[in-house]
Amino acid sequence: MKNISIYRPKTVGEAIQILSQHGTEGGVYAGGTDLLVRLKNRLKQAPSYLVDIKRIDNLRYIKEDAQGGVAIGTATRLSEIADSALLKKKYPMLVEAIHTISSPELRNASTLGGDLLQEVWCQYLRGGYSCYRNGGYMCYGAIGDNSYYHSAMGGRLCYAAYPGDAATALIPFDARVKLATPAGVKELSVEQLVPGDMMVDGRIQSHVVRFNEILTEVVIPAPKPGARTSFEKLRPRGVWDFAMASLAMNLQVRGNTIDDARVVFGGIAGKPLRETAVENFLKGKTLSADLGGQAVSVALANAAPLKYNEMKIEMAKGLLASGLAKLNASN
Amino acid sequence: MQAIEGVLFEPVGCLAEFPAEPFLEIAARSFGRKKKTSKSGSRAYWHLLNLMEASGGTMSEALELQAVDGASVYEDVEPALSELKTMGVRLVIASSLSGAAVARFLKKCPPGDFFEGVWTRDNAGGVKAEPLRRAVAGASLHPESVMFLTDTAEGLKVAKSAGVQSILMMNDPDEARRLAMHDPAGGIVSLHELPDFIRFVAAENRVSTGLPKSPSDPAQTPPRALLRQSR
Repeated sequence: MKNISIYRPKTVGEAIQILSQHGTEGGVYAGGTDLLVRLKNRLKQAPSYLVDIKRIDNLRYIKEDAQGGVAIGTATRLSEIADSALLKKKYPMLVEAIHTISSPELRNASTLGGDLLQEVWCQYLRGGYSCYRNGGYMCYGAIGDNSYYHSAMGGRLCYAAYPGDAATALIPFDARVKLATPAGVKELSVEQLVPGDMMVDGRIQSHVVRFNEILTEVVIPAPKPGARTSFEKLRPRGVWDFAMASLAMNLQVRGNTIDDARVVFGGIAGKPLRETAVENFLKGKTLSADLGGQAVSVALANAAPLKYNEMKIEMAKGLLASGLAKLNASN
Repeated sequence: MQAIEGVLFEPVGCLAEFPAEPFLEIAARSFGRKKKTSKSGSRAYWHLLNLMEASGGTMSEALELQAVDGASVYEDVEPALSELKTMGVRLVIASSLSGAAVARFLKKCPPGDFFEGVWTRDNAGGVKAEPLRRAVAGASLHPESVMFLTDTAEGLKVAKSAGVQSILMMNDPDEARRLAMHDPAGGIVSLHELPDFIRFVAAENRVSTGLPKSPSDPAQTPPRALLRQSR
């Protein structure tokens, strides 16, 4: 493992100052379940100056806001989210999704911010190959074994799939985030936070957070009346693995008619993939047993699978059908 | 990698899929090689260039023109070249085909004044690395700031011998996996990634060298989408 220095600032302002000094050599350290693995795997791209934000005491909370929404500090552990009675009551789908992340031990260490901003889990990157994300100029996933952790919806340069489940589950609630930057606080939707492979500060990453910015809070608006939600995830193993395909849905239903819909696929693209074609199709439709089959016919028309991952598209479509069946049955 | 200022294109396998048959026929007729079957026009072509280089012989121009006639230009050539041109990247043809074959090929390409220079085995006076060297010198570029796209092992060797960056076109995943062992400087899945590749290298250079920041510097402005959503 390379030599590292660890800073332990007490405030977000101090942390930003330190990150600004070290440029792209610095990195935020919270749960460490992604960052420390990259360091142990000796990845060239792993930072040398770690800014430990665990001692900043106002980043770890779950609280209801005045509008009936919930704000979550980004240093909140995933296990705390999974055990939160408030979140279970208001956003059971989010809690269900968090429960499917990794293992209980890792959820005890991982933070919400870390899950949202984690590096991709392409086996070539993690194995130290010199790919676009690790100091090289080639995507080995595009030509190698891409059956599990790569995009089936095309890509550019890097073909790894975005691995996080929290973002997939937060987007259907129109959740937003706050970023502390040297110029003040910036607000974005979760969808804007993780738009897929981006060039930021000369690096390719899945999110838009710059080297001297810190994700501080996730805000979920109050649940809408008539909301029916579901989250499903398919993975190579029953536990402790990333999604080969997942689906989070939030339908706003009046009577049995769908007024509004959010449909977000995970694990199949370089970002949580909001499928607006299906959302538009569902609006105004009546929830019924055969709606799933019809929705599948309009889903993922832009699929561009790699050599070994065509089945991900079938998995995702299967999740759409089963998710709609589940929501229909929940009436 | 140094920031890229120019790209050299060999039409065979890089801008178009060429049929293998005419090249195999030339190898059989002109060099007495047993006719083989090959799916890859690029491999047949580079094999033929090896034969030409070794024996000093030449190709039958009629068959070469037949290969050009049978070539199908990749659909992403036009958008990729247009974008590169807009970015100010200098584009040059550097081919071991004859002048007549390249001229006919360019007529097949989408309209647009994309190439500032055309080097063939006729005006370069040789095959393989020679057109590349002449193209780099003709455009007054540093070889390290020039990339040559290729989908064959021979092409990679030739790029290295000319001192330019060898970029693998990973048209076929299985073949690309094998060619990746030849240590190319980089690789792209298809031509539509080329503009982003060049932007990526440029951004990386600006960040790592600490050059004065410009308003277009990704390190200074809100991040800009590198990717389109799908191919």
